Amino acid sequence: MITDKFWPAMKMAALYLLLCIVTFAVCFPLIWALSTSLKPKSEIFATPPTLIPHSTTFENYEALLSGRQQYYQSGGAGQATGPTPAQFFTRWFVNSVIVTLGSTLISIVVSTLAAYSLTRFRYWGRSAIPYFSLLGYMVPSIIFVFPLFLMMVRLELTDNLLSLVFGYVCITLPFCMWLMWAFMRSIPIEIEEAALIDGASRYQVFANVVLPTALPGIIAASIFSMIVSWNDYLFGRVFINSLDNLTLTVGVMLFFEGTHVDWGLLMAASVLMTVPMAILFMALQRHLVAGFGAGAVKG
Amino acid sequence: MRRLDFLQSDRFVGLLFIAPFVVTAIVFMVYPIAEAVRMAFFSYNPLRPDLVSYVGLNNFEFIFSDPLFWSSFSQGTIWTLLSILFQTIFGVGIALLLHRKLFGMAIFRGLLLFPYIVPTVVIALIWRWIFNPEIGVINYSLQSVGLISEPIYWLSTPTMAMASTIMLNVWKYTPFVVICVLARLQAVPLELYDAAKVDGAGAFRRFLDVTLPQLREVLIVVIVFRTIWTFNKFEEIYLLTKGGPGTSTFNLAVYSFEQSMASLRLGVGAATGVVMMIMLMIGSVVYLRVAGFGNEEKST
Repeated sequence: MITDKFWPAMKMAALYLLLCIVTFAVCFPLIWALSTSLKPKSEIFATPPTLIPHSTTFENYEALLSGRQQYYQSGGAGQATGPTPAQFFTRWFVNSVIVTLGSTLISIVVSTLAAYSLTRFRYWGRSAIPYFSLLGYMVPSIIFVFPLFLMMVRLELTDNLLSLVFGYVCITLPFCMWLMWAFMRSIPIEIEEAALIDGASRYQVFANVVLPTALPGIIAASIFSMIVSWNDYLFGRVFINSLDNLTLTVGVMLFFEGTHVDWGLLMAASVLMTVPMAILFMALQRHLVAGFGAGAVKG
Repeated sequence: MRRLDFLQSDRFVGLLFIAPFVVTAIVFMVYPIAEAVRMAFFSYNPLRPDLVSYVGLNNFEFIFSDPLFWSSFSQGTIWTLLSILFQTIFGVGIALLLHRKLFGMAIFRGLLLFPYIVPTVVIALIWRWIFNPEIGVINYSLQSVGLISEPIYWLSTPTMAMASTIMLNVWKYTPFVVICVLARLQAVPLELYDAAKVDGAGAFRRFLDVTLPQLREVLIVVIVFRTIWTFNKFEEIYLLTKGGPGTSTFNLAVYSFEQSMASLRLGVGAATGVVMMIMLMIGSVVYLRVAGFGNEEKST
């Protein structure tokens, strides 16, 4: 009787323990970053290091969000004269939001329309396009980036957020296309036919019947697209050259320039940069498996 | 009226809806790739656009006789193989752990998949902080446990820098393997396990005889995909080590970037890109064979 309940319970406890250890190990870098960002300067370098700060402070977050100059202060000997990365943080954040939303909007609109067309009409090349697109999404961005840069030079779009929007369309469109195509293919065509027979136009059917049904696919594709655009460093680094127009990823790497690295500030910037992705990720959780089923994981 | 009829006609709607994609794909995908291939045959300095000249295969001769190209190639290969090895082992392990219906599993799953969406810049910054030789928590912990007596210079010695970038890569992309394996595990018929239990197979034997063969297909696809992607990764290396110390963590993507950006030899960078694309195509052919896409298309 005892062994009947005892061993399964022990097994369960061991399993939970193992899960906790693995999860802690995986999340440790993130926990440590969060912890550092909340520590006052004196505690960041304390030995032994503390996982949970003895005294928490939000000064790093305040400095970033208000653009206050505190970057070189801890060195003691007066302030730096030039602009400091902290002053640009909110600006870069807004830039990142703009290019992320802009490119995602274009990719989603273009790929949704295309996927509808590919799955509902018959014409030459319609079965080749999704596979062509899949191939496009395997090509690494290092190959796209310089030809696109020269194109932007010719269009006089360098150092312009629009160039990044186009650049991110180039890397997100292929897999949005693939995902939307796979998703549209799985939507039964009968509902649309019924609506068409009832006298609705193609456009009405698309707007009122197809789009609502395709919404989970659209959400999943948008989230993947936003993650890719938000996280990109390469395009921002090559296309943009003024501090005002940088995105977060490239801008925050600049925190390393200069002799003194303010780790608390840097970790706070890292946390703030990750938060939008964390929110998206929570929204994504439900769609993750559906999205994967459609072959939509980019890495 | 005739024009309206034309608009209502299905064929027109179909072409109208595909048109933006065709235009965007030609401008932002086909053209840049074609341009990259063209650039590989030209001498191209972005500061002197007036001096562009056709140089034939010179750029390819340059890279094939450049020892740095070959060391980038072999370092990239080692980086890829070790990354994939650890990603696969950890990925399958974590997926097996998560593949149970337990209370609170959604939280564990969420936390274990989270690294996948953390920006590479953020991971690189955190890595530089926790692996800092003097003030980093990793060295402190290892020293206080007594595993090491001297601080390890994680990012400034060639071997350790390579190990650090591999760790970063494994940390970020293991969730990809977990997601794929987890999705497949959910489709393994439970009867197979019952049958194995009846035959008296222990947990480990059941894993070897039932789980692993079932995972074979998905693992092959995942490994091919990840190999192609990992081999071409740029940010995961560049942001952490800039390819250094020296050139000890260069891979072909970093080599191509440095040729284009630092040496301003866009033609040489493009030629490297072309070589990478050829390898990618070989990888893709392998993938298409493995996944059997050709067959699927015939059946639909």
